[in-house]
Amino acid sequence: MSYETWALALLFAPLLGFFLALVVFRDRHNVAAAIVIAAGSVSAAASILLCVGGPQPTVSARWFHIGDITIAFGVLLDSRTLLMGAVVGVITLCIQIYSLGYMAHDPGKGRFFGFLALFEWAMLSFVYAPNLLQTFIFWELVGLASFLLIGFWYQKPSAVAAAKKAFIMTRIGDIGLFVGLILLFRATDTLDIESILTLYAGSSAGGAPTEIIAALLFMGIVGKSAQFPLHTWLPDAMEGPTPVSALLHSATMVAAGVFLFARFHELFMAAETTRMAALAIATFTAILASTMAVVARDMKRILAFSSISQLGFMLMGLAAGSLFAGYFHLTTHAFFKALLFLVAGAFIHRCGSNDIVAIGRQGAARTMKVTTFGLIVGGVALAGIPPLSGFFSKEQIIASLGQASPIIVAGAYAAAFLTAYYTFRMIFLVTRPDPESAAQPAGPADPDHAHGEPTWAMNGPILLLSLITLLISALSAGALVGAMSEDPIASILGQASHHASIAEMAPAIAIAILGAVLAFFEFGKKGAAQTGIVARMPGLERLLANRWYIDAIYRHTLVALATGIARVSHGVETRGFDGGADKVADATVASGRQVARRHSGRLQLYIGGAAILFALAVVFLGFRG
Amino acid sequence: MTLPAFTMFALLLFCMGLYAVLARRNLIAILIGIELMLNAASVNFMAFNYFVAPDPAVGQIIVLFIIGLAAAEVAIALSIILAVYRQRRAIDIEQLTEVKG
Amino acid sequence: MDEFPILSAILLCPVAAFVVTLVIPGRQSGLIKGVHGIFALLSVVLSMVVWARYDTGWRENGDVDRFQMMEDVPWVPDLGIHYILAVDGISVVLTLLNAIVFLTGVLSMWTLTLRVKEYFLFMAALVFGVFGVFLSLDIFMFFFFYEVAVLPMYPLIAVWGSTRKEYSAMKLTLFLLAGSALLFPGLISLYFESGGQTWNMLILAQEGTFTPKFQVFVYPFLYLGFGVLAGMFPFHGWSPTGHVAAPTAVSMLHAGVLMKLGAFGILRIAIDLLPSGAAYWAETFAILATIGIVYGAFVAMRQTDFKYVIGFSSVSHMGIVLLGLNVFAAVGAGDGGSDGLNGAVFQMFAHGIMTALFFSSVGFIYDQTHDRDIRHFGGLIGQVPVAASFFLVAGLCGMGVPGFASFWAELLVFVGAVKVFTPLGVIAIAGLVFTAAYMMRVFGKAMFGPKNPQWDGLDDVGPWSALPRVVLVGVLVLFGFLPSVIVDVIRSAGVVSHSGGM
Repeated sequence: MSYETWALALLFAPLLGFFLALVVFRDRHNVAAAIVIAAGSVSAAASILLCVGGPQPTVSARWFHIGDITIAFGVLLDSRTLLMGAVVGVITLCIQIYSLGYMAHDPGKGRFFGFLALFEWAMLSFVYAPNLLQTFIFWELVGLASFLLIGFWYQKPSAVAAAKKAFIMTRIGDIGLFVGLILLFRATDTLDIESILTLYAGSSAGGAPTEIIAALLFMGIVGKSAQFPLHTWLPDAMEGPTPVSALLHSATMVAAGVFLFARFHELFMAAETTRMAALAIATFTAILASTMAVVARDMKRILAFSSISQLGFMLMGLAAGSLFAGYFHLTTHAFFKALLFLVAGAFIHRCGSNDIVAIGRQGAARTMKVTTFGLIVGGVALAGIPPLSGFFSKEQIIASLGQASPIIVAGAYAAAFLTAYYTFRMIFLVTRPDPESAAQPAGPADPDHAHGEPTWAMNGPILLLSLITLLISALSAGALVGAMSEDPIASILGQASHHASIAEMAPAIAIAILGAVLAFFEFGKKGAAQTGIVARMPGLERLLANRWYIDAIYRHTLVALATGIARVSHGVETRGFDGGADKVADATVASGRQVARRHSGRLQLYIGGAAILFALAVVFLGFRG
Repeated sequence: MTLPAFTMFALLLFCMGLYAVLARRNLIAILIGIELMLNAASVNFMAFNYFVAPDPAVGQIIVLFIIGLAAAEVAIALSIILAVYRQRRAIDIEQLTEVKG
Repeated sequence: MDEFPILSAILLCPVAAFVVTLVIPGRQSGLIKGVHGIFALLSVVLSMVVWARYDTGWRENGDVDRFQMMEDVPWVPDLGIHYILAVDGISVVLTLLNAIVFLTGVLSMWTLTLRVKEYFLFMAALVFGVFGVFLSLDIFMFFFFYEVAVLPMYPLIAVWGSTRKEYSAMKLTLFLLAGSALLFPGLISLYFESGGQTWNMLILAQEGTFTPKFQVFVYPFLYLGFGVLAGMFPFHGWSPTGHVAAPTAVSMLHAGVLMKLGAFGILRIAIDLLPSGAAYWAETFAILATIGIVYGAFVAMRQTDFKYVIGFSSVSHMGIVLLGLNVFAAVGAGDGGSDGLNGAVFQMFAHGIMTALFFSSVGFIYDQTHDRDIRHFGGLIGQVPVAASFFLVAGLCGMGVPGFASFWAELLVFVGAVKVFTPLGVIAIAGLVFTAAYMMRVFGKAMFGPKNPQWDGLDDVGPWSALPRVVLVGVLVLFGFLPSVIVDVIRSAGVVSHSGGM
């Protein structure tokens, strides 16, 4: 089959799956699930084949035109989309299979799989989009699909609130993206992404218009990729089922923001000021989120904070100018983060609790070998300990920061240290529970939600993702020691990777190991207190546990402001416009009544008055005339 | 007899009618006043017709119209007065102030 | 005119329904509904035929006119009044909209039992007036039909409505008549200023008929007069109150098509005939429209009644229409102007369908519960999944989610607005967040969340009662995926007499 066929199959299979699962077979759960997984397999296979096949000319069909502008729906097959598409395809398939086990007992299983297919369709169409309009449409649909999935358990008020929050927060960013894309279209007079990139490639100083466009696009990225100050929706998004979190945090939704930065990398490179601001925001976010993870006890929340922080890392790399570094981390992170979420899901499924201390106390790690293996592979990769993949990609990012200000570099090291620390804290608390330690489980486990040991449907994807993580690690390590001429991901991207010597890498290695060692002494060692250093500083712990009070600040400022304006508008409406109209009406009636009261009802008076007026008129006109 | 004499007579007649309409309390009396005013107008028409108009027929036609109108008006007004009397047992205009605000 | 007078046939559909209903005894309500259903269906079919026959290529070919299928019969020749019907791309779209809303409105009132005959008589009169406005090219006839469309609202709300119905009906009528009072002198002045020969819009629209000074003076009369009916800020007060009080199908017609009459009048008469005046006032009115977008959204955020939320969302969405029209008024066919126009007309259509869907969903729930307070519901999606899904679809459409018709409409308006009035465009786009906020609030409170056990026994939409709603959803999705079908038609109406700014 030709690559065009694959490209089309890639996009339309999930759409078809979505329609069949949600509209036709919603109540026949297993049929719906089978259809969606079949569609997911087609997309995954097609995306891998296309990725192996290398860049091809864009496949597109005229969708319609408005005026002289032709809008095409199509598939752009360059190195960036191919790699990302393959990542999305593979991870989505793994998560769909995993959901078979995780969602087996859910009454809304058919609907769930339908939404998963919608999510996949939106994300793939977004990634492969060859023009700005398609980018924007599917960017929005990705947001919609995650709204539906986060709020999947719609009877749970917290899930509904989280879904609402996610949608509105990302919408705030979307304003920027929307305006930015319109201005970009105005500035370049084309919707075609490749032409736009050619226009900006190599131009280092784009001037104020480019800066504004880039800043607006970055606003959209901040919303979608949960960067400060719009990051608060992501931890709450954990209210969705765990497979959704896995999808949301690895290859879709939040990855869309980073991907957009990579997609328009040339444009951002031409906007120096925006790029520097983006770098600062990304670094700040990376540190901020890791501090929150240090005290969190909810396994999914720890992972959520780490996602925010790692997304910050990716944007740091991209903003510092290295497309490869950011992209590499996006890829490695997608796999190990998906893996970690699936692992977390398996533990939660088994123990009925999200609390890492409680999970550890139940001894889950001893019986769940595959899951624990996944936890260690994913965790070590996340912590950036060599020789696993996270180390290589994070090292590339730190290396790419070469010319940046020392504060940024220091920030990156700090975030890397905290990452290693909280990751190993989680690993030790789960795998080396100590009933004697000071840490107390957060209440009894909820047996209603405990479903027993994970089935093959859940273990299979965990194993597969572990293997992929190890494979990427091996390839990168091979490139490093010279067994391979070039890093495979770099060669797909057509970018040169930065070959660092061991000496250059030493600080990164040392920092990561330092974090891990600190975690070992506090949580892993026999007889350790298992409370952590932060717990000894109650003020700091409260600050971190309340997420720096950013949510509270928003609630008391922005949300209060919006509801205040709404209240004022409502008051103006009822008392001003609406009430005003009523007052006009009332005044009319009242004045009529007043005038009526002047009437005696004596006809003779009226006639007499009329006669006198008439006579006066006659006299007056007579004198004039 | 000259034109001013006729117009003076008509004016006198009109003022008497107007006075009756304004000052009398009995509805029948008011009706008679209206008749007087109409007749004043008729007299004026005839007078001007006789002394001024080139074609005497026009004034006469209008006067005939007025007489016809007056007859109809009396018929209607009397029936209204009767109806009012049946309902209110009075035809005193001081008591008929329904349109008061 | 040898051809079949298809436009008159459309206009006659409600008339025929009216006449047939007159001779049916009021007891046979089923027959009355059936007659209306048939004629409504006929008007839908005829409108689709008109759509199909309308030649969009008039600008390229040059051998067909912008206004097609014209029928011209002198009516009061002494005053220059003619009965002229014709369609351009804009009226083609809006005629179909009216026919669809008519049909779905009849279907969703299938369960009506109170004074069925009178109800449908008034409704037919209303629909007749709306068709007449969309099809007329004679200003006098336009105004005549306009008044015909407005007046039946009073009895429809006052008799069949709910929640302070007499008050709302009176308020609506007074507001609209106040608008007409502004409108009438404006229209008369057009007639006399042009020499008192004709009311024909095509002739009046010729360049040089009106001096710029005259245009600047008269334009606000027409804009404000029509704007009242379009629900323009700050004269929108009648609209939410009226929505709330009106019965389901009347709400559907009211928000679905009646408000469009105002916007259509602004476009067809005010902007087309007075382009210089329109350009002069465009910025002022664009500011008001933008305020309306944001303000409507904020007020909607505080409402507790389903219908009030929708009512204020209409104010917000009609603000988008008016913004698009003013963008067009400001620059004519220039950069961004045609985007504004296309978007505004598209939004009229999309909003009409979407609001009809909203009201029919809420009406379905209200008919059973006699409650519309958002706080009294919860988890409706679990109790009445189909009915709630229809509401969700309408809500998503209202938020401008891609895949539904209003996404394109809003996109086009915003593109035009950013090009022409950049700050206003940005504010209007920011309004999307507030729109999302109030929609999400309704979703979160009523559709999702814990169930209210009181409503566990509600019947869900059955296959038959789903029919009108499926039609509406189908239209929204169809144009969401194939916007070109509609945009091509609207675009071909394009810009005719517009000479650009002053």
